[in-house]
Amino acid sequence: MDNSGKEKEATALMAEAEKKMKSSQSFFGALFGVWYWCELCMHLTSFASLFNQSHLFFHSGGSKMEEACDMYVRAANMYKMAKNWCAAGNAFSQAARLHLQMQSKHDAATNFIDAGNAFKKADPQEAINCLNRAIEIYTDMGRFTIAAKHHITIAEIYETELVDIDKAVAHYEQAADYYKGEESTSSANKCLLKVATYAAQLEQYPKAIEIYEQVGTHAMDSTLLKYSAKDHFFKAALCHFCVDAHNAQLAVQKYEEMFPAFSDSRECKLLKKLLDAHEEQNVDAYTDSVKEFDTISRLDQWLTTMLLRIKKTIQDDESDLR
Amino acid sequence: MSSDFEAYEQDFGTITAEITNKVGRIPKLSGEEKTQLVLNVDKQLEEVRELLEQMDLEVREIPVQSRAMYNSRLKSYKQEMEKLEKDFKRSRIAYSDEVRNELLGDDAGSSENQLIKLREERAHLLDNTEKLERSSRRLEAGYQIAVETEQVGQEILANLHSDREKIQRARERLRETDANLGKSSRILTGMLRRIIQNRILVFVLGAIIVLTIILAIYFNLRGH
Repeated sequence: MDNSGKEKEATALMAEAEKKMKSSQSFFGALFGVWYWCELCMHLTSFASLFNQSHLFFHSGGSKMEEACDMYVRAANMYKMAKNWCAAGNAFSQAARLHLQMQSKHDAATNFIDAGNAFKKADPQEAINCLNRAIEIYTDMGRFTIAAKHHITIAEIYETELVDIDKAVAHYEQAADYYKGEESTSSANKCLLKVATYAAQLEQYPKAIEIYEQVGTHAMDSTLLKYSAKDHFFKAALCHFCVDAHNAQLAVQKYEEMFPAFSDSRECKLLKKLLDAHEEQNVDAYTDSVKEFDTISRLDQWLTTMLLRIKKTIQDDESDLR
Repeated sequence: MSSDFEAYEQDFGTITAEITNKVGRIPKLSGEEKTQLVLNVDKQLEEVRELLEQMDLEVREIPVQSRAMYNSRLKSYKQEMEKLEKDFKRSRIAYSDEVRNELLGDDAGSSENQLIKLREERAHLLDNTEKLERSSRRLEAGYQIAVETEQVGQEILANLHSDREKIQRARERLRETDANLGKSSRILTGMLRRIIQNRILVFVLGAIIVLTIILAIYFNLRGH
């Protein structure tokens, strides 16, 4: 792959585009840059055709800017091929700013998104900036669904690369609100669930409980989702448990009333065993029932953390009593 | 006298030995042989009883001094005879493995058979327990797989639900776009019509102007 060749071509294009922006004739400059790479003859012809067109047209500054935009985008694509993400991102942002000047918001936003994607691989902070600007444009235009989708992307970046859970949670919430506004409850629920898992991990139990109950009640009614409802109630009951065992008991009864199938599930049985073990302050019974559940279906990381917390409360109570 | 007694003692000894031997053999035999042996033992017991009576008479004829010794011997002989009778009776009603084997099939060496049978049964039972354990393990694995399948199913259903909403939204937007396109095409046809109208007007006006100019020139020339 002639990546280095593409890079140099791309730099040439960018220089070209800048000069175009300043509306100065750069015929000879372009020719000069291109001269050194024989494989770019076809690009030379395309340049030439462009110039011809620009002479033929009754041109205003507008078409020059459009061409400049176009060249920026092509340069950025070539940088992407050469895997030079920073430069690609910059090129896309330049293109986007030009589009803004030309008052074509939609194109500007698309270019900002491309810039964000390119920066994701190199500089997460810069990517977040670009994505934020794109979201502003979209919300201006009223396209909340796309804005929500990009909030999720930002939240994912915060989750993985920058590891800033609070901001990630904030973005997920924002995305969920936008989705609710656009009546796509299931996408909203997906975001809310992520919020709840992080909230529970950060010990913000009331929030997590509320979200899980809400999602659970909503899932109960839908034919497609009712098999996931018991899972949500289980998680809600666990959060109640972390706060207070008595609450958990009431909650379990409430869920059983609301959703009869819940009482048949293995999760409900496990909950009852755990409640009993907690009442008797019997750590061994607790561990045994958890192990039994684990043999059938593995406990994932979130569940293990929560169950461990509850176990610690039992052990603390025991040591207090002693 | 005493030699008679001793002769009687010797007979007694031999007959009791025979009786003991036969009594030992009776439980093992059955049927014809058993009845014969039983008769034999009966006869011999009768002989022993007669011997004892005669010994008794002999002892009475002996002078009193040496009677004690013979008396004690006699007593022991009598006790032995009673014991033999008891053994004889017991042997006749003894339940032996032979009878059982005859009922359930004939083989020799019954106690060894029992051990072998016990060992076989034990192996059989161990086999069964192992089979049960294997099947219960398989059931558990099957249950685990079913639970995992259920979880996968849940995820798929959630995905389907969200996809459904996306498709519905896309359809709505498509209908809107369709309506907008229809509107725009109507506007364009209106524009086209207006353009044609304008052009016709322009041509008509141009024609009128040209006509007026020609008329003006014509009238001028005529006026000269």
